Amino acid sequence: MFGRGRTPDDFNDEVEAHLQLEADRLREDGLSERDARDAARRAFGNVTRARERFYERGRWLAWDHLCRDLRFGFRSLGKNPGFAAIAVLTLALGIGSTATVFSWIRSTLLDPIPGATRTGEIVAIARGGDVNSAGEFSWLDFKDLRSRAHSFSGLIGFGIRPMDLTGTGKPLRVWGTAVTANYFDVLGVRPLLGRGFLPAEDRAPGAAPAVVLSYALWQKRFGGDPQLIGRTVAIDQHPFTVVGIAPPEFQGSLTGLRMDLWVPLMMQREVISDRDRLNDRGDYWLMAQGRLARGISPGQARQELNLLMQQLVDQFPDAHYGHVDVGVYPLWRAPNGANAHFYFLFPMLLALAGIVLLLACANVANLLLVRSVARRREIAIRLSMGAGRGRIVLQLLAESAILALAGGGLAMLIARWSAGTFQSFVPPTSFPVALPLRADSAVLFVTLAVALSTVLLFGLLPSLRASGIAPAAVLKEEAGSLSGGRPTARLTNLLVAAQLALSLLLLVTAGLFIRGFHNAERFDPGFNPDRVLVASYDLYAAGYQPQDGLEFDRQLVAKVAALPGVESATLADAVPLGFERNTEMVRLEGYAGRPHESMDVRSATVGPGYLHTLEIPLVEGRDFTSNDTQESQRVAIVNQAFAARYWPRQEALGKRIWTLGQWFTVVGIARNSNYDMLNEAAKPFLYLPMFQDYFTHAIIEARVHGDPLAYSSAVENCLHQLNPDMPLFDVAPLSSFTAVASARQRISGTFVGAFGLIALLLATVGIYGVVAYTTRRRTHEIGIRLALGAGRRDVLRLVLGHGLRLTLAGVTAGLALALGAAHLLRNALFGVAPTDALTYLVVAALLFAVALAACYVPARRAMRVDATLALRHE
Amino acid sequence: MSTRAADTDSNERLALLQGTLDLLILRTLLVGPEHGQGIARAIQQNSDDALLVEHGALYPALQRLEERGWISAGWGTSDNNRRARFYRLTVLGRKQLVRETGKWRRLAAAIGRVLGPELEQG
Repeated sequence: MFGRGRTPDDFNDEVEAHLQLEADRLREDGLSERDARDAARRAFGNVTRARERFYERGRWLAWDHLCRDLRFGFRSLGKNPGFAAIAVLTLALGIGSTATVFSWIRSTLLDPIPGATRTGEIVAIARGGDVNSAGEFSWLDFKDLRSRAHSFSGLIGFGIRPMDLTGTGKPLRVWGTAVTANYFDVLGVRPLLGRGFLPAEDRAPGAAPAVVLSYALWQKRFGGDPQLIGRTVAIDQHPFTVVGIAPPEFQGSLTGLRMDLWVPLMMQREVISDRDRLNDRGDYWLMAQGRLARGISPGQARQELNLLMQQLVDQFPDAHYGHVDVGVYPLWRAPNGANAHFYFLFPMLLALAGIVLLLACANVANLLLVRSVARRREIAIRLSMGAGRGRIVLQLLAESAILALAGGGLAMLIARWSAGTFQSFVPPTSFPVALPLRADSAVLFVTLAVALSTVLLFGLLPSLRASGIAPAAVLKEEAGSLSGGRPTARLTNLLVAAQLALSLLLLVTAGLFIRGFHNAERFDPGFNPDRVLVASYDLYAAGYQPQDGLEFDRQLVAKVAALPGVESATLADAVPLGFERNTEMVRLEGYAGRPHESMDVRSATVGPGYLHTLEIPLVEGRDFTSNDTQESQRVAIVNQAFAARYWPRQEALGKRIWTLGQWFTVVGIARNSNYDMLNEAAKPFLYLPMFQDYFTHAIIEARVHGDPLAYSSAVENCLHQLNPDMPLFDVAPLSSFTAVASARQRISGTFVGAFGLIALLLATVGIYGVVAYTTRRRTHEIGIRLALGAGRRDVLRLVLGHGLRLTLAGVTAGLALALGAAHLLRNALFGVAPTDALTYLVVAALLFAVALAACYVPARRAMRVDATLALRHE
Repeated sequence: MSTRAADTDSNERLALLQGTLDLLILRTLLVGPEHGQGIARAIQQNSDDALLVEHGALYPALQRLEERGWISAGWGTSDNNRRARFYRLTVLGRKQLVRETGKWRRLAAAIGRVLGPELEQG
């Protein structure tokens, strides 16, 4: 708008120019210099007045008013510090809850790959139709898809593995990623030092021993030495040349997992596995991500990939059994990485935090309404002195803004503190979980925006109400009279009922999640995680060949099992409820397959006595023994779900399974247990014997008497007796993995529970405030009632009745809300129905009890009213 | 902020009616861009000195017209080489002038009819 930005100085110049011009003119008419000037001034009139009027119209006045309003607001709040403190704290709880959850969302769902550019275009690609069964790709399939697909400006493939970094001092256990050479380019990550990988490094297997180190590893292990570029380090005892250092914020392309180094995929033989994984179309080990080409949606990309994949399946039927479906996911709900766990949890928590915020606003609005009634005289005087209604509203809003900003500031502190506590919900395990949760400037901005928008939520209505009074009528009232008028009473009642309803909603949700958390803690995963020590060693990194390796495994298990206090010991390639998910593609004797059915089956390769050690009951047949060797018949154990799914109403024992290029005969049926998550449906699972399917990254599992960790040095001794240089790492009790698996339940139980408590607190304060205030206002009326012969009990009934009517209304509405909300959240609940009657009953009873207690205090006060005093009161 | 009629001691001059100053300013600017003092002079002269414009009262009106987008302003140089803020009629302002002129003519005519023929004095 024109003229808005004009300064008073500019206007003064104009006035000055006017006077000059007029004087010039008058001089021409023959006046003397001095007369001309005086006449010009006279014709102009009052110069000061003109300036004032200019000023009043401009935004300078608005600015001045704002300053004055804020000053006045501080003074007026300072006169009532109790009110100010309660309001600020209430708002801080509400805004803080929202800001905290937002800070998590900000650094996971909204910033899935820190350090990458335009992550909105990047998608995760996985075999298998849904998030819970994310399958990998074989290198040959990936290569064909990459060269044929047009939906992407770039496709990257990668596999992760723990690796040993040697060279200086003790070998360091690191997490490495073997990546296609275009990895850094497609992600848009520019190395801090040196370079990423070159296209040439994607061609010949074993030809490009180059490595990019993470910033953290570079700092920790090499002291941030810039001369490191071009030097050689040893990874799994193979020399690699350091070609680059990744930028500090980049920790890999899987959200929440911190990788230490990256090597070209062509080096997989050196660091991933001694198998040649580059020439076997049936060897699925690569995760894939892609950057969508301009204007392509994930849906279109998915369609194209499925079409191409089907061509590959038709072309190479031996490498693909059953239907292969390819899913394309935005990173915020990628099936690999932390977002697979958070994409529902965090938005749900944000919604619940939003309700806490609404509750806080309702509370403060109520406080303001009550306060505005007490300030009626002040406002009436100001109105009658000529203040416009708009000015009064703005002044009251300025007060609200002070409260909101103070609350927002406090909320920011809460968010900063709580962002850091989140990591403590994920117990440390072998997996490099690293959630860089932080409250950054975006969080600050959102917190401020939320704080300011609450001003309108809680401040507007009370200030409109407060300023809409007839000054004459108010001033005629007796000083000290507190009658607030019916409309205000109705409004406060409505607000309190709404508060109770929202609190009930939050409390029911909290109750359901806390029950879910309890269920998760006591949950029987189908195996016994107590008193089991888990530890890893790496034959591959130590340079063992399959024959020596198998012998090593055999001797180690025997040694550990012979330790005093150890009941039994076995080996496995993965831990149940751990992070690694092996799958094998199978073909089954006596099972034709359904159309569009994937033949990927979850699997584990395990040592003799595995089921016995983990206490997984056998339903039929036998456990693996040390007689199941390379020379003997290939055998397998399946779980009940496997048998029921593929061989219903048939004898599963003795059936044969084709996988890994051989037929395996089923010799045992194990009871179903949980493999990946606590709340998973029973899924088919296949156990293969380790002496027939060699692996190099072995995990020893030993059931012991007493504390498992007390045995860690004894187990390490056994290992060192066989090879003094081989490190034992990732030593942990098996129960820590169960704890990780229940982390989601613990997070939701804790935070939703906290929200519920805050809600209860706010609702209690709310109903107490309103009933106490109403009762005080009715002191005169109660006095009359008492004078006319009402009993104390009648007074009690009067006050309690008011409170309980409000509670009843709120609880009824809340129950309906809660039922709806719980239905929406049913998938996030664990072992408890969304209509769980006990939770609803307990919560409703709790709310009634709290409301009753809150009303009882003012009711007692009302009963003690002295009729004569009360009547003299006015 | 209303346009205040100036009530000075010179009784022969007519005080301005509410809202008419805007109309006069717009009309004056129809001839071409002009600065504040020029506008004041022009109104006085064109009314044969019958209308009294307190120059200071002009500025709130100019400010208001500028905010509404009916006139625009910028610093320039006057005939006698002095710096002055010149006002110019915008397209919107031109439309407004046409509308207001019509309204004013109808109003004047209506009031004239109500008042009837001139009363004889004495």
